[in-house]
Amino acid sequence: MSLAEPAALPVAASAAPRLHVLKRFSDRFKASLPAYLLLLPSLVFLALFTYGAMGRVFVDALYQRATPKAPVRFVGLDNISAVLADPAFTGAVFNNLVYAVGTAIPSIGLALLFALALARTSAISSALRAALFLPVLIPMVAASALFLFIFLPNVGLLDYYIGRFLPVLPNWLGDSDIALYAIMVITIWKNAGYYMLFFLAGLQAVPEDVMEAAHLDGAGPFMRFRHIILPELKPTFLFVIVIATLNAVTQVDHVFVMTKGGPSNATNLVLFYIYQQAVEHYDIGKASAATLLTLAALMGLTALSFRTMANREGGP
Amino acid sequence: MLFTRRLMLGLAMAGTFASALAVPAMAEGPTEIDLFFPVPVDGKLARDMGTLIKEFNEGHPAIKATAVYTGSYDDTLIKTRASIKAGKPPAAVIMSANFLLDMQIENELTNLDGLIAADGTTKEKFLGQFFPALQGNAVIDRSVYGVPFHNSTPLLYINADKAKEAGLDPSKPPQTWAELTDWAKKLTKREGDKVTQWGIAIPCAYDYCGWMMETLTMTNGGRYYNEEFGGEVYYDTPSMLGALTWWNDLVYKHKVHAPGATPGPAVSTSFISGNAAMMMLSTGSLTYVRDNAKFNYKVAFIPRNVRNAVPIGGASLIIPAGLEADKQKAAWTLIKWMTSPEKSAWWSRATGYFAPNMAAYKTPDMVDFLNKNPDAKTAVEQLDVAKPWFATYKTVPVRKNLEDEVMLVLNGKKQPKEALVAAQKAADETLKPYNAETSLKLP
Repeated sequence: MSLAEPAALPVAASAAPRLHVLKRFSDRFKASLPAYLLLLPSLVFLALFTYGAMGRVFVDALYQRATPKAPVRFVGLDNISAVLADPAFTGAVFNNLVYAVGTAIPSIGLALLFALALARTSAISSALRAALFLPVLIPMVAASALFLFIFLPNVGLLDYYIGRFLPVLPNWLGDSDIALYAIMVITIWKNAGYYMLFFLAGLQAVPEDVMEAAHLDGAGPFMRFRHIILPELKPTFLFVIVIATLNAVTQVDHVFVMTKGGPSNATNLVLFYIYQQAVEHYDIGKASAATLLTLAALMGLTALSFRTMANREGGP
Repeated sequence: MLFTRRLMLGLAMAGTFASALAVPAMAEGPTEIDLFFPVPVDGKLARDMGTLIKEFNEGHPAIKATAVYTGSYDDTLIKTRASIKAGKPPAAVIMSANFLLDMQIENELTNLDGLIAADGTTKEKFLGQFFPALQGNAVIDRSVYGVPFHNSTPLLYINADKAKEAGLDPSKPPQTWAELTDWAKKLTKREGDKVTQWGIAIPCAYDYCGWMMETLTMTNGGRYYNEEFGGEVYYDTPSMLGALTWWNDLVYKHKVHAPGATPGPAVSTSFISGNAAMMMLSTGSLTYVRDNAKFNYKVAFIPRNVRNAVPIGGASLIIPAGLEADKQKAAWTLIKWMTSPEKSAWWSRATGYFAPNMAAYKTPDMVDFLNKNPDAKTAVEQLDVAKPWFATYKTVPVRKNLEDEVMLVLNGKKQPKEALVAAQKAADETLKPYNAETSLKLP
């Protein structure tokens, strides 16, 4: 309670000159008018294609039809509670969490490893960088079609090479215990090269003189990595983690091509669940409600990460 | 100043665009129509469709048809619905035959009775051109909503070389489940615990899995759904329990079928590569197998436990609701042309689907073709025992309710009985809104 008392004082003091604040606000607005005018075209398109669509989703999420021929009617939060009660949705959220953690950590780890190994530019390292970046250039749909053949049970490339070392040949995409991990392998393969680029850029920013000083002070490679490189790469890490998490929610092309969320929903991710509700169930209300929940989670995550980033930049 | 000039330029450009778009619509040219078509099976269907439409346009100067490729059967439904919602429906669509009921319930189809009557013929006469087994999926509430275009049934494919190797006679293929089980056991090869050749492969992925369950249930004497009413499915029944238990036994008791869910393309690849000695697959894959198998193969009816029966598959031509009269008429001309005996026969030879128009099999080219490829004849003969494809309110989710549970069984996670009880419960829930409006709406 004692903490609350001093906090109450400044609120009372600043509440009085409200007119003054308004005037200051309008002055500031006038000053930045040209900026807003310049932003106007982009804002119009953002409003039309991003915020407009979001608004529509928000409205759609509140309506539902009771029977096929009945008109849509306002149901408030019923759609949201229906989505939350749907075991397919909670299953998809759980899958998505496993998928996000299981793809973000290995692909970021690999990316850092690649970047450290290939930080110095030479003919060989440039060639290797290009090779590692190649998966990024292949569209996800095409990559999925390729992996469909690689994962074919018994006759696919994977079983052809490693099948002889396994006691039984797994049905990579048809076994509900393995399918999600098979899908994750593709994501890691595809994204590690992309994240490597950010780490390569981050490594360029590590000050050369600090590294040299550490070298002279007798710091070994691990000490230098732990105490100089890692702290310098913190903003890069934050950025890549956000991107990787967003990718885990927004990239479902391979699910679409390879498993359609199956077998038995084992590879169903949130975005694919939304697609199923909208398209297969033809239930726009529930699809919009699920979209809204996902959007809220993503926006929360983004806000959190931006705040952390801002704090880092402002801090020591 | 700068802004106004930009604005003027922008307006001028927009104006040019608008007039460019408006001109062709106003000019007195041919009626332009779109045909949405899916490519659901292996092969080069898209090129064949281009050939077909080109020929149509050359013969009909008053109409300009464009074939638009729309992905799989499921994708085609999505895209058609999206265009209807956007107010620009395509003039005709090759639609998976079991989606028609769902679309009719949602008021998305044009009733074709009027167009048939305008031609001076009767419904009975018009439908009489097609195999009777196909009519169930084209007629809803005694009105015609679709025209059968290319159709299929499931077939048993046998690697004849491997059968001979195992001491089996491929000219006498298995006719009952007991015989098939016996064949599959003899055709499975093992090295220790590892299976190097599977006796039989049956596809199970969303879409195919439901179709195969319907096939096995029907050969076990059962029905999958209520053919007269879209609000009921029969998942928790003895006939389906027997079907799923047999499938489960092939995997876990006899160990002649690979565990897990295997999609159609993986099954056909497995068969072509010699990894599976027998498979159950659509007649639509017949041309693909004929072109790619490097061994002698044989096709046969799906073996029975109680009776010989199979569901049809494939697609019908439909006209979406909400189309202008001239486009509707043009679409009807295109549909009649595409389903005529000659074109139907040509398409059948190109794809492996059978031709729904019975007269197609009397054309000289077709008689010739069947003499050369007796396997195509088996597909047609099986039509005598074919019945409609399951179609309910929300066909896809209701089907998925069953498929998810079947996949759990094939992965060894559930026993058939508990899986079917769960599937029935889920499907009843999905069908509830429709029943509330129909069977349970009481005076």
